[in-house]
Amino acid sequence: MNSIPLIRLVDVSKVYHLESGDFTALNHISLDISEGEFVALMGPSGSGKSTMMNQLGILDVPSTGEIYIAGKNVAKMTALERTHMRRDVIGYIFQKFYLIPLLSAYENVEYPLILKYKKRDTTGKAAAVLKSVGFDEEMTTHRPNQLSGGQQQRVAIARALVNEPKILLCDEPTGNLDRKTGFQIMDILADLHKHGKTVILVTHDPKIAEYAHRTIQLEDGKVVES
Amino acid sequence: MTDIFFDLSVRSVRLNFLRSILASIGIVIGVVAITSMGMLGTNMQLSVKQQLSSDVNTIMISSDVVRTSSTAGTPITSQGIDKSTLNDIRNAAGQNEVIPIHRTNTQFTIGSTDGRGSIYGLDPNDITKFLTIEQGTDIKGGSDVLVGPNIANNFNMNIGSRIKIGQDNVSVTRPTVRVAGILAARGFASDGINTDNAIIVPDTWYTDHYGDKDLYNQVNVILQNIDTINQTEAAIDEKVNRKTDIVRISDASSRLSGISSTLGTITTFILAIGSISLVVAAVSIFNVMMMSVNERVQEIGILLSIGTEKGEVRRMFLYEAFILGIIGACVGGVFSLIIGYTVVSAMIGNTAYFFLPESIIYVPYGMIIGIVVCILSGLYPAWRASNMDPIDALRNE
Repeated sequence: MNSIPLIRLVDVSKVYHLESGDFTALNHISLDISEGEFVALMGPSGSGKSTMMNQLGILDVPSTGEIYIAGKNVAKMTALERTHMRRDVIGYIFQKFYLIPLLSAYENVEYPLILKYKKRDTTGKAAAVLKSVGFDEEMTTHRPNQLSGGQQQRVAIARALVNEPKILLCDEPTGNLDRKTGFQIMDILADLHKHGKTVILVTHDPKIAEYAHRTIQLEDGKVVES
Repeated sequence: MTDIFFDLSVRSVRLNFLRSILASIGIVIGVVAITSMGMLGTNMQLSVKQQLSSDVNTIMISSDVVRTSSTAGTPITSQGIDKSTLNDIRNAAGQNEVIPIHRTNTQFTIGSTDGRGSIYGLDPNDITKFLTIEQGTDIKGGSDVLVGPNIANNFNMNIGSRIKIGQDNVSVTRPTVRVAGILAARGFASDGINTDNAIIVPDTWYTDHYGDKDLYNQVNVILQNIDTINQTEAAIDEKVNRKTDIVRISDASSRLSGISSTLGTITTFILAIGSISLVVAAVSIFNVMMMSVNERVQEIGILLSIGTEKGEVRRMFLYEAFILGIIGACVGGVFSLIIGYTVVSAMIGNTAYFFLPESIIYVPYGMIIGIVVCILSGLYPAWRASNMDPIDALRNE
């Protein structure tokens, strides 16, 4: 089993059919990412970073080629199986945090546990994870719009972590934060990597990319450096 | 355990409180409309039934053959049940009361006021078997009469008032009768004897003045036991109509069911009008649900991308529709009791049946229909939300 990497892309292309003609966002990409790697995905805008993240996050399926995540062929899974994989295997951290506005900070973290176990969390896990990312305990009942950007991103990281995913997908996690807070967030991610998580990070910022141990450079839908 | 999707729905309703309440008001109006219309119809049916069913134990027999004058071509002169037919009826009716009735219309004068009304000729012994005297006494003398309450009222009659019967004509002296008693109101009598506007005279007085001795317009059989109505009718039919149809036999129960089914149709019709308002309410709920979905596209995108099942997203929006329905149905239930009671008392004037199960059942019916309409209106918006593409939804600002 260990011979198959956690993530494997085999000749993956993604073509969007637009009115102005076909647009190839990903062009015959083959790539392996092993468990425990810290990968930065870089490239100019329009290079296919977002499309790549959607593929890795199984929010989308490739036009041609195959993607294996945790040993499973994404294209051959049912919609429900993909949903469950997003819930259990992958943790998402977004540039705009994307917390659920109607839920408190604590409930946002508890939410994936409810999705998985179909009941409220009584184990204290949500609170523990929230504490582990340095979130102020007194603010757990606050709604996202009452929190600062840094605090929101900590809640988002806690939410991504609470179901113990193998993979953390971070789409410009520091893009909406000031520099200092950005580095604090990166320190948290580096620490998570140290504890065995596979971290995939999209960024423009070379300073941020320095946290990663491997950089994949995309240009016009092709890997130019890996 | 509370469902987090239910919590989310409650919060969404609370967040858009005004909009949600306005949509619920539509449901309130719909529930009130169908509930109070249904109750109105039912109360109408019940009160009419009660009025009619007081004399459903009566079989009415009238002549089916028409006696014409012996000269061919002259018009019909009269019709009736003769003595031998009456005897046959008496034999067939057994223990039940048989009441032969003479009837015609007449003009009359009280003091200087002329009037017109029915005049019934009855055996004085038969009168109290089915009529109630409210004032005065039974017929004692040959020219004593009873009058209906409407005639008594309209002509200011009292016990002892004199009535001249017949058309005012200088050359003829009209017979005068004396009011011995005034009858209780019967309303619309289903035994065919409508006495409220009538004068009841002794049968001997009637045949003395109108002829038709031993020839009756109608014969009523009052049953001791309502359950024997069919067999008694069959017995009379067998005895009297053996060779040809001599008499027509009918009873109030068939008329009662005819009227009931007409009232049932009317009830259905007004219910249908009431449900138009529910259709309008459904449209407004649909609109609010679509607004809720469209405003929360990004939130739906978040939910879907972090692993929420489609069914769970659907559930969240159906809960929201359900909450709007519950609010509308509960408020509507309370209001329909108040408004239904007001409408029934204003239009029927009798609320005796309002709290009977047949009537009050419309409240839970209306509430359930209101909730179901809400959920149905939420189906498409919920389906739409759950089938969004998470990538597109996330990108939506």
